[in-house]
Amino acid sequence: MRKMIPIVLALAAAQAFSVAAQSQTLKTVQDRGSLICGVNPSLEGFATKDANGQWSGFDVDFCRAVAAAIFDDPSKVQYVPLSASDRFDAVKNKQIDVLSRNSSWTMGREGDNGVVFTGVTYYDGQAFLVPKSRNFQSALELDGSKVCVQPGTTTELNFVDFFEANHMKYETVHEASADDMIAAYNAGQCNVLTTDASGLFAMRERLTKPSDNMILPDIISKEPLGPAVRQDDMQWFNIVKWVNFAMINAEELGVSSKTIDDALKSQKPSVKRLMGTDGDFGKPFGLSGDWAVRIVRGVGNYAEVFDRNVGAHSKLGIPRGLNELWSNGGIQYAPPIR
Amino acid sequence: MTVRVSLLLRLALGAALAAFAGAGAGAQTPGQDEMNVVDQPGYQPTPEEEQLTGAYEKQEVFFRTTEAPGTIIIDTKGRFLYLVQGNNRALRYGIGVGRDGFTWSGLQKIARKQEWPDWRPPPEMIERQPYLPRFMAGGPGNPLGARAMYLGGTVYRIHGTNQPDTIGHAVSSGCFRLVNDDVIDLYDRVPVGTKVIIRQAVAL
Repeated sequence: MRKMIPIVLALAAAQAFSVAAQSQTLKTVQDRGSLICGVNPSLEGFATKDANGQWSGFDVDFCRAVAAAIFDDPSKVQYVPLSASDRFDAVKNKQIDVLSRNSSWTMGREGDNGVVFTGVTYYDGQAFLVPKSRNFQSALELDGSKVCVQPGTTTELNFVDFFEANHMKYETVHEASADDMIAAYNAGQCNVLTTDASGLFAMRERLTKPSDNMILPDIISKEPLGPAVRQDDMQWFNIVKWVNFAMINAEELGVSSKTIDDALKSQKPSVKRLMGTDGDFGKPFGLSGDWAVRIVRGVGNYAEVFDRNVGAHSKLGIPRGLNELWSNGGIQYAPPIR
Repeated sequence: MTVRVSLLLRLALGAALAAFAGAGAGAQTPGQDEMNVVDQPGYQPTPEEEQLTGAYEKQEVFFRTTEAPGTIIIDTKGRFLYLVQGNNRALRYGIGVGRDGFTWSGLQKIARKQEWPDWRPPPEMIERQPYLPRFMAGGPGNPLGARAMYLGGTVYRIHGTNQPDTIGHAVSSGCFRLVNDDVIDLYDRVPVGTKVIIRQAVAL
């Protein structure tokens, strides 16, 4: 019995410490007056910086959405461009508050890097780009192709597995970079490019004649991209997670930056809960009642962000595909706010 | 270049007309970026204009559905028409959605198919655009384009267009329009009796 006391005390102390640790990030961000967001230095559609130093893109808009929820001002973000090898250390070392840099959620990354992914903002995966003249409907017609790929990547392993599993012959053409892949394809040294679908749409824009080429709808690997945060702050994890869910739910409920004023007058219970006109769902996470209104007004719903950066209204023109809502042919699905 | 100019011209014309008519149209607009384009009977687009690019170009896409292959699903909000192919695939066409296209949702069947349909603008269109002909025989330059597929017993249809730059937009008249190449392609793929599901944006 006597032995138990120190243990209980230690537990209580640990508990108190963890509660204190839990609410640090939001408070730090609020005290600082801005969010520090890690992004890709330059990836068409996801994160790019223009001549005036303004950042834009799908991943950038996610940073802006988090800032909007906290400050009611999507511009209160400091962007930190990060290389692939530095990105997770930047989260762990508290150099950034959130990483929004086309990063695939995997078990290893949560196990080894001390980060936790908050959800999937973009379902990516490996695909194939081919000349339209080959008239393919499916990746199962690629037998006998010459495939340009970067050596030593999981991309190469995936495509080899795919061809072998489907009894198709192939010739591998190794190219060190995306630029080299494009040059080789333009020169006719290969007739298939393979990497993640989002990357292929960006590459297509740089081919000699983009519209003569197509990306097959087959996706042969799972690359679920999402934001990541530190593992020691549940409150912050929840905030970042629900910012994503709010944007997806807003699309599903028909709430956009254009309809937001009508949405505030809506009598539909699901819309009222999102708008904060019924309930106060942001409060337990330290957010205001109108947290989701701020996001949608300042940045937009999921469809608006997708379309303007990578989708129908962007240069890339990526089909929603897997990223369509679950109710409209895709797999994007957010738990309800209630 | 001529494409943009003609579009701007028509936009301006449309705006002027709408202002002139004092259009009670405001109440009926779908709440989206409606393009006030007037019909241009007789206008014949160039092949370059008819060639869609990017998202609205016909393409096969990933599409999960429990609907049977051969079903048409119209997503008015996204401005797409899907022809379900099975195996999580659909052929996707870019469409323009007319005001009438936003007035109803649900299930229909293709009741009748017509090549190069004649055009008889309904009275409410004549009211908005009084200079329109009362009848125009089918053929190039006809606003209904190369093909029409009539939906059930309604006056609504999927049809072609002589104004390819309206694809991707909410336009002031017509129902569901595709560029002529696409409507011909679709026409040849779907028989009379094809199930057509129309999905509207959710109401707030």
